[in-house]
Amino acid sequence: MKNLKLNAVGTPLQRKEDIRLMRGEGRFSDDQTMPSQVWAWMVRSPHPHAKILKIDKSTALTMPGVLGVFTGQDCLDAGLKPINHNPVPATQYDVKLRGRDNTEVFVGRHHLLPADKARFVGEALAMVVATTREQAFLASLAVDIEYEVLPFVIDTEQAAQANSPPVWDDLEDNVFVDSSYGDKAAVEAAFAKAHHVVSLKTHIQRVTAVTMEPRAALGFYDASTDRYTLYAGSGSAVRQKRELASVLGIEPDHLRVLSLDVGGNFGSRNRVYVEFGLVLWASKCVGRPVKFRADRTESFLSDYQGRDLVTSVSLAMDEKGKFLALKADNISNSGYCCVSLSPLSKGSGLITGNYDIPCITLRARAVYSNTMATQAYRSSGRPEVTYAIERLIDKAAAELGFDRLALRRQNLVRADQMPYTNAMGLEYDSGEYEANMDRILALSDWAGAQERKAAAKARGKLWGVGFANYVESSIGTPKERVDVIVLNNRIEVVIGTQSAGQGHETSFAQVAADLLGVPFEKVFIIAGDTDRVSAGGGTHSGRSLRHASTVLSLATQELVVRAKEMLHALVGATPSEVYFEGGSLKWPQGAQEWSWFELAELAQSSTLEPSLKTLKVRTDHEMHTPVFPNGACVCEIEIDPQTGSLTLMRYSSVDDVGRCINPLIVHGQTHGGIAQGVGQAMWEECFLDPESGQPISSSLMDYGMPRFDNMPSFKTQIVEVLSPTNPFGVKAGGEGGTTPALAVIMSAVEDALRPLCGPLNFEMPATALKVWTALNEAQKHSTPQKTAA
Amino acid sequence: MTTVSLKVNGQVVERDVPDNTLLAFFLREELGLTGTHVGCDTSQCGCCVVRLDGTTVKSCTTLVHQIQGSSVETVESLAKGDQLHPIQQAFTDCHALQCGYCTPGMMMSALDLIEHHQEVLTPEVVRAEMEGNLCRCTGYHNIVKAVVQASKVMKEGVSPV
Repeated sequence: MKNLKLNAVGTPLQRKEDIRLMRGEGRFSDDQTMPSQVWAWMVRSPHPHAKILKIDKSTALTMPGVLGVFTGQDCLDAGLKPINHNPVPATQYDVKLRGRDNTEVFVGRHHLLPADKARFVGEALAMVVATTREQAFLASLAVDIEYEVLPFVIDTEQAAQANSPPVWDDLEDNVFVDSSYGDKAAVEAAFAKAHHVVSLKTHIQRVTAVTMEPRAALGFYDASTDRYTLYAGSGSAVRQKRELASVLGIEPDHLRVLSLDVGGNFGSRNRVYVEFGLVLWASKCVGRPVKFRADRTESFLSDYQGRDLVTSVSLAMDEKGKFLALKADNISNSGYCCVSLSPLSKGSGLITGNYDIPCITLRARAVYSNTMATQAYRSSGRPEVTYAIERLIDKAAAELGFDRLALRRQNLVRADQMPYTNAMGLEYDSGEYEANMDRILALSDWAGAQERKAAAKARGKLWGVGFANYVESSIGTPKERVDVIVLNNRIEVVIGTQSAGQGHETSFAQVAADLLGVPFEKVFIIAGDTDRVSAGGGTHSGRSLRHASTVLSLATQELVVRAKEMLHALVGATPSEVYFEGGSLKWPQGAQEWSWFELAELAQSSTLEPSLKTLKVRTDHEMHTPVFPNGACVCEIEIDPQTGSLTLMRYSSVDDVGRCINPLIVHGQTHGGIAQGVGQAMWEECFLDPESGQPISSSLMDYGMPRFDNMPSFKTQIVEVLSPTNPFGVKAGGEGGTTPALAVIMSAVEDALRPLCGPLNFEMPATALKVWTALNEAQKHSTPQKTAA
Repeated sequence: MTTVSLKVNGQVVERDVPDNTLLAFFLREELGLTGTHVGCDTSQCGCCVVRLDGTTVKSCTTLVHQIQGSSVETVESLAKGDQLHPIQQAFTDCHALQCGYCTPGMMMSALDLIEHHQEVLTPEVVRAEMEGNLCRCTGYHNIVKAVVQASKVMKEGVSPV
């Protein structure tokens, strides 16, 4: 890498994918249509928890256009298997989660349709297939399901109680992960000698991804080839193929999955959805292509959701504010079945944040509940633990009289400690945490904030300034594969991981162009079709560019070896005499050189046997070592005390992403990440009515979203401390925006309210009603409320 | 079934469709113009915005029979051959799209906004006026920049440096 000339890498090139998307020529799931296709509609549970006594299809089957009605019992009778989500993170660096008393984790059985019980409101219990979507919907209303309503549990802490009604009869209660870590004796000793102990208990509420493209799928079974085809957007066509083939009980080669343009993912599309398996199966049953398209409300009910962690943390400090030890107790609400434990596992590794805390104890639990399943959601697990440690430090500073920045600086992991192994055993690869603080204070004009605060006060407004550091981990599936194919006018790069808006066709092409010494315009990235793509891990955990650039680096070396072999066969060049430089293969002894394209042309027009004529390599690589993107952010919020309404006035972020391949894309990723984090802190919540278990924020009219008129423009700065773990020094740029955003917003809200209300006594989202109520309560009492947050 | 006749992107189209057919699905499923997207069913997200007789509508809640004889323009009408429309150029220059799903509706709304304002747009006006379009990827920052840039180009003929 040292001698590599970077032309495309580091340049803000416009994206290759933009043209088709802006012309209306994208290939989203619902854009796919097949002649003679028919429609599926799901009958969904109105109950959070109920035994299915009987499903009467008879009326529905007589209705116009109906081709079939399918139930969970039909799935069992057809021999369909539950989806194997492989939910327990298993790389060498993932925190190992186990069941109670070190038992295997019980993950439930995620059938396409359940035959026994409904476990959350919105669960698909039957599928109607009819000629038109409207006919399928109308017939779905006539499917008569007899239920025995059961007691339910939705609340995370209640689900951890021994007496909560079990979602799965296989377990005696709902706790299915219960693991403890750390040095208990050392932590107890540190707490015993501590001068200060501060504690915080908080709930990082459940939110949902709200991808702008609702999920959709088109399944087709071709009896003449005994082969299935699925068009469905996801985070990895390869994973969908593997897991759906297993559901259908077929060889993977009998299923082709196409995930072309994907209208947002953010984690929610990484795992298999039941409807994807159902349209494939239904297509075989009715002999026609079957299409499904979710309404927005179905998406709110049954897209995989995110967060929902209750965390209790305590920090022991000496009299000068040096952190001595941390205790954490985290409970993750997995919902009705276990799709992924990534949020709990990823967060567990990072409970100490950017700080040098010598010893910890952690109890990590996961619980089932009568809610939709949770999954990784943008920056899986990291915003939650960042929230805990950053809010705890703010609290310590305020209660004990430390300056909140000085307290952080004093305890940061220093640059000269890198690589640094935290108390959970994770090795932070690199980073300049204190320099990030200096950068963000300058970028945000921290010094000027007090003046803005005074000006706001003069207008009768409250003004708060928030601060947060963050470090996060990029781990993810360890394997990636690339095929590099040189043609006479272009280079094709076929790769397993795929984009849902992150711009892989551009950034991967930039990497490949520089590695191969060819113009960026000549490189074409191919992904998302399992007839082209045979392996690869998919997009999650900020892994894609790191894995892609690494496997491409290796593929380039292999391609050079292959080219030398070819030249030996074609012109008799001795391989050791040929070298690769500046985009050309040079053979000084023969006084000749070839570009990649000339060599491809030469081989094609040669008399080599057909299998040797194409210049291509397939390279596999496995990389477990994680990297640790990091940064800091500051925001300022104005509050109108009359109404409690909050306005986000300024937001600045510094992000160490390692090597930045395309600044245009990385800044864009940061912006979007910030918005999703801010959304959670200020408006978003999957709210379930505690009395009935009914979701009541299930449309865009009830679920608060970041919008044009409630978001500011951002100041973002990219820092490139190269990671020593991979050839390009890539960390990740997709999730840093989100990771500290929850903490920094609530830090600002508390800063604004503290003089009047004392410490925050409400949880996210910080709605106007909560702020107004806090201000009103404070006014009612002459002294500020001192209840803990 | 009732016959509906419209002008879509300059072409007259006539189809027999059920009375409850929505414009968005007429465009997508009858005409194959899949650039117009549907992101919700409640007129909240703006992915389905198209231009209709000089204004904009959310096509997911417009019955096609309501607009008999009207002229509809969709995202497919913007580029002229390989020549991008200034709004498209601005979107790619400013990286105002990521997944691209909201983009067609965004651009059609932005065009309407630019054309109905005498002046070059300010970020404040864009933020206030485009509140009916949602995006989950960009945090809006780059879309605001792009719409301001496009308004400069369209009002003043100023090309970005």
